[in-house]
Amino acid sequence: MKRLFRALFTAGSSRAVPPLVIGFFFLFYIGVAFFTDETLITLMAFTRNSFVLALILALIPLNSVFRLVGETSRFMLMRSTMSGKNKEGLVDIFDEVVEIPVSATVPNLENRLAAVGYKTCRTGNVLAAWRGINSFPVRLFFLVGTFCIFTGILITTTSRSSLREMVVEGEPLPTPDGSGGIVERITLANSSGLILSRNLTMKVTPAVPGSKSREFGLYPPSRYGGAFVYPRYLGLALYLRFTAPDMPAGADTHCFLNVYPPGKEDNVVIPGSPYRVIFSIPEPETGSDRYISYMSDTITFGFKLLKGNDVLFSGSVPGGGEFVRDGFRLALPDVRRLVVTDLIYDNGVLFIWWSALLFCVAAALWLPIRVFSPRREMLFRFDHGVMTACSLAEGRSRKHAGVFHEMLDMIDAGKAGEE
Amino acid sequence: MAETIIETNGLTRSYGDICALKPLDLQVPEGEWLSVMGHSGSGKSTLMNLVGGLDRPSDGSLRVGGEDLLALSEDGLARFRREFVGIIFQQHHLIPYLTAVENVMMAQYFHSVPDEAEARTALERVGLGHRLKNRPGELSGGEQQRVCIARAIINSPKLLLGDEPTGNLDNKSTIMVMELLKELRAEERFTVIMVTHNQEVAAWGDRTIYLDDGVLVREERMNS
Amino acid sequence: MVALKLIPHLLSWAGILLVLLRGYSERRSVVMKTSITGFTGGVAGAIILFRTFPETIPFGSIKTALAVSFFLLWVFSVAAVYSSTARRVPISRRGRFVNTSLCAGAVAFLAGMVAGAICTCRFPATASNTLTFIVLVLAAGALAYALVFCVRIIERLLPPSFTVSPSGMLIAVVAFLLFSSSSILRLDLFSPLSMKVMKGIHDFVHQFMESILIPDHLFVRSVVWKYIGILFSKGVGFWGGMVIWFTPAFLIVLAVNFERLPSVAHIRQGAQRRKLLAAAIKARRHRLVIPLLSVVILAAAAYQSSFPSTEYWDPKPIPISANQSGEIIIPKKGEVNLEDGKLHKYLFKQGDREARFFIMVTPEGQLTVDLDACAICKPDGYGQAEGSVICYYCKTLIPLETVGKPGGCNPVPVVFSVKGDNVAINGMTLINTWGSTVQATTRVKEGGK
Repeated sequence: MKRLFRALFTAGSSRAVPPLVIGFFFLFYIGVAFFTDETLITLMAFTRNSFVLALILALIPLNSVFRLVGETSRFMLMRSTMSGKNKEGLVDIFDEVVEIPVSATVPNLENRLAAVGYKTCRTGNVLAAWRGINSFPVRLFFLVGTFCIFTGILITTTSRSSLREMVVEGEPLPTPDGSGGIVERITLANSSGLILSRNLTMKVTPAVPGSKSREFGLYPPSRYGGAFVYPRYLGLALYLRFTAPDMPAGADTHCFLNVYPPGKEDNVVIPGSPYRVIFSIPEPETGSDRYISYMSDTITFGFKLLKGNDVLFSGSVPGGGEFVRDGFRLALPDVRRLVVTDLIYDNGVLFIWWSALLFCVAAALWLPIRVFSPRREMLFRFDHGVMTACSLAEGRSRKHAGVFHEMLDMIDAGKAGEE
Repeated sequence: MAETIIETNGLTRSYGDICALKPLDLQVPEGEWLSVMGHSGSGKSTLMNLVGGLDRPSDGSLRVGGEDLLALSEDGLARFRREFVGIIFQQHHLIPYLTAVENVMMAQYFHSVPDEAEARTALERVGLGHRLKNRPGELSGGEQQRVCIARAIINSPKLLLGDEPTGNLDNKSTIMVMELLKELRAEERFTVIMVTHNQEVAAWGDRTIYLDDGVLVREERMNS
Repeated sequence: MVALKLIPHLLSWAGILLVLLRGYSERRSVVMKTSITGFTGGVAGAIILFRTFPETIPFGSIKTALAVSFFLLWVFSVAAVYSSTARRVPISRRGRFVNTSLCAGAVAFLAGMVAGAICTCRFPATASNTLTFIVLVLAAGALAYALVFCVRIIERLLPPSFTVSPSGMLIAVVAFLLFSSSSILRLDLFSPLSMKVMKGIHDFVHQFMESILIPDHLFVRSVVWKYIGILFSKGVGFWGGMVIWFTPAFLIVLAVNFERLPSVAHIRQGAQRRKLLAAAIKARRHRLVIPLLSVVILAAAAYQSSFPSTEYWDPKPIPISANQSGEIIIPKKGEVNLEDGKLHKYLFKQGDREARFFIMVTPEGQLTVDLDACAICKPDGYGQAEGSVICYYCKTLIPLETVGKPGGCNPVPVVFSVKGDNVAINGMTLINTWGSTVQATTRVKEGGK
């Protein structure tokens, strides 16, 4: 059982797992590409619906965990070896292990090592020497980052669900359970940010009295009731009243218009009639902000009135105002801002965000450590007339090897004690 | 009985009509310190250049360390020089803009790969552990020649050739250098061929041969 | 002249042979025999395929073989990096297998076979008569024999210290094959790879932004959009393709570079230690030569692919208008002979709307009318060469046999009818087809290319 567990751990923690899995999915991608142009989406759909594919993808985060355990235990083993407590498996820990028969105890190499920048520690018959910064913490960041990114991808691929809703000023936030507070105000304003040129804020009053009001912006999307509130498009919600000569009773309707950016058209069918109104927001005057109408409270719509496919006339109507001509009357007593918003239920996103952070930290730490102060270690253990000397270098290995060889020469020549 | 490291039979070197070295038969056992004496133009440096693979003989045979130098190609001769011979000249020929340790590392570089720790140790062995980072211009004549010795021995040659290595040194430095060479020879067991016109320097060797006009005229064994 | 065209292909095969002979220096005889056998077999096999099946099958088979070899190269290069950075590298069964006669023979045979098949693609196989064909094959055989002779001499002149690692052999073999194939439009891998990479990156970037909820709307600063836009540009395909094209070679260079030097700590003489290390470093440097040369060969292949010497048939669109009933009538044999096997382009304008299309007869004799654009790319139009049409935007080659069929990067087919000796196309249908399938991808309307 123990052997089986060990074999499983060895296989699971193998460095070959990530490239094999990625290679497998790459091949799958190529295969899918022969049949469809929507390759990635199809591949994601396959993975979502196939337990086996999800399991194969899960091998990477599993591998990261195994490697995390493996590397941590190796690090601990290294520490205990350097402190003289462990003397097993040296070949697996160090780059080089060499045994030299000697007649004396561990000679005095400390001065020499100190002269070339190594710190030393003698414990009984063991002399450990090291310099530079150990990259183990960086590895931890990297492995946790790998775990996070692939876990995130796995979760996102297999469990993401999204709900497209209209967030309208003055209406409740449309959460599935109806627990959303009222959207007090939607504000669009210019921003001087590095990435975004505008800020969109949706202020929501609390659903439960006593709790704080919330504001939802563009990025990073905030969470509400377990879902990311992810604004997609701007629009307007209208309450429209229409009368025509052949329908004096008129008709009232509520509608959502997807008319941004300005110039985009959206149409409203007057219920129970052959009439259709095509709305658009005219491009503002040169020099004005394109979204000035959304930012301000005065919105003027351009419209075309159609009966069937025939255009009867066109004109403009201000929000809150009306347009009257030839017995037709088009009134917009209520216009409100809306944001077409996706409520995305996906915990994988958090993992992916975290992985980005962890990778950045790992890279920011690794580079200076590797360039300026890579870890170099030596261990000299004297046991029954045999000196076991071990060496490891994460960088500048040739120079380190030179010092290591010098120490061995000194031990061999018995010169160390003379210093 | 030590093995013979240098064996010449009828070794000759002519430059046009001038015969710098007339047929010479010489045997040098491994580990011996052979001093070569003679006046200027007697052929001592020619002999040293031939033995060190710096020049090719006109005639005769020349075996050094089991290698027939006449049979070696240019590449083979270069390898022989690189791996078998260390040379100390009267002029130090150190690179002025490199430090002492870098000068020694340069010899390592041409032999194989540089190793700073080893170069440092070599300089410490010649008593220059405190002058590692000094350039040749900052060293005395004796110190410069000690750097040359470190440079000559860094590649563990079997044969160390000295061409008037103490020619530019005062008496005190000369003794210091010779003592150092003696000490190193005892440790490293290399063979020394020292060309000199200084009788006192020659006396540091095990045997002295005298050349005159390219002919070996006399041989003298020293008491240790 | 055709025999001269074979020279780069034969040189590529000679290069493969040279590398394999040096890589398997103890199995020269096996390599030589199997490579010649493979080459001959490849030529014969390709001839049979070309004479038995439509051209798409032999071209497709050889291209697949090239693609598989490139994929294998990727696998081996990644494996090489992994094994050279492993803490302990035991001599694996795989390593021992690589050095067997069986492996040497198999590699030489397969490489020779593909090289031979590529050479065959240079012949106008189906068009020429048997006698011409036999003469060409004999000429190629004579050239091949002469090359083998030269290769043997050159190989013996190389210094013995110049060795080739297994991964070095593989990259060289694949690089030579890709170089050889890159001059044949229908075998070229680089351009289709760039196109696939472009689509893949577009797809991936969009999905990536969706996945991590990066807003893709217009509120992102235009400067930032400019940079994001690079990922959606045409250039990303080329550069992405370059990365995929060259990465295996660089991975192999890295793998050789990462190879651990031998442990010399047990030696107590510094000079001897350094000598061993220097020898190992020198051997390592020698092993770098072939992968680095392969980079150059791959670059040459990419260059040949990006700037092919082929002249495309690309006629200027002829302006045309519809009759009273809105039909465009084009005589089959008027000023332009529509049945000459070439594509003929027309430009139809109706008010401020326009559509570009071409008419041609496929090798099967089918008349086809298609938009001079596909539904995916920007409508840069098509040119015609070597049994295919090429999309100028993404450099995809569409075999003439599939022109007229919808989907992918194929030209969008247009409904038409043959009325007597005329081809009739409904102008409104044409404009609408252009509008519905192409307009979305249009940024440059005019002229194509």
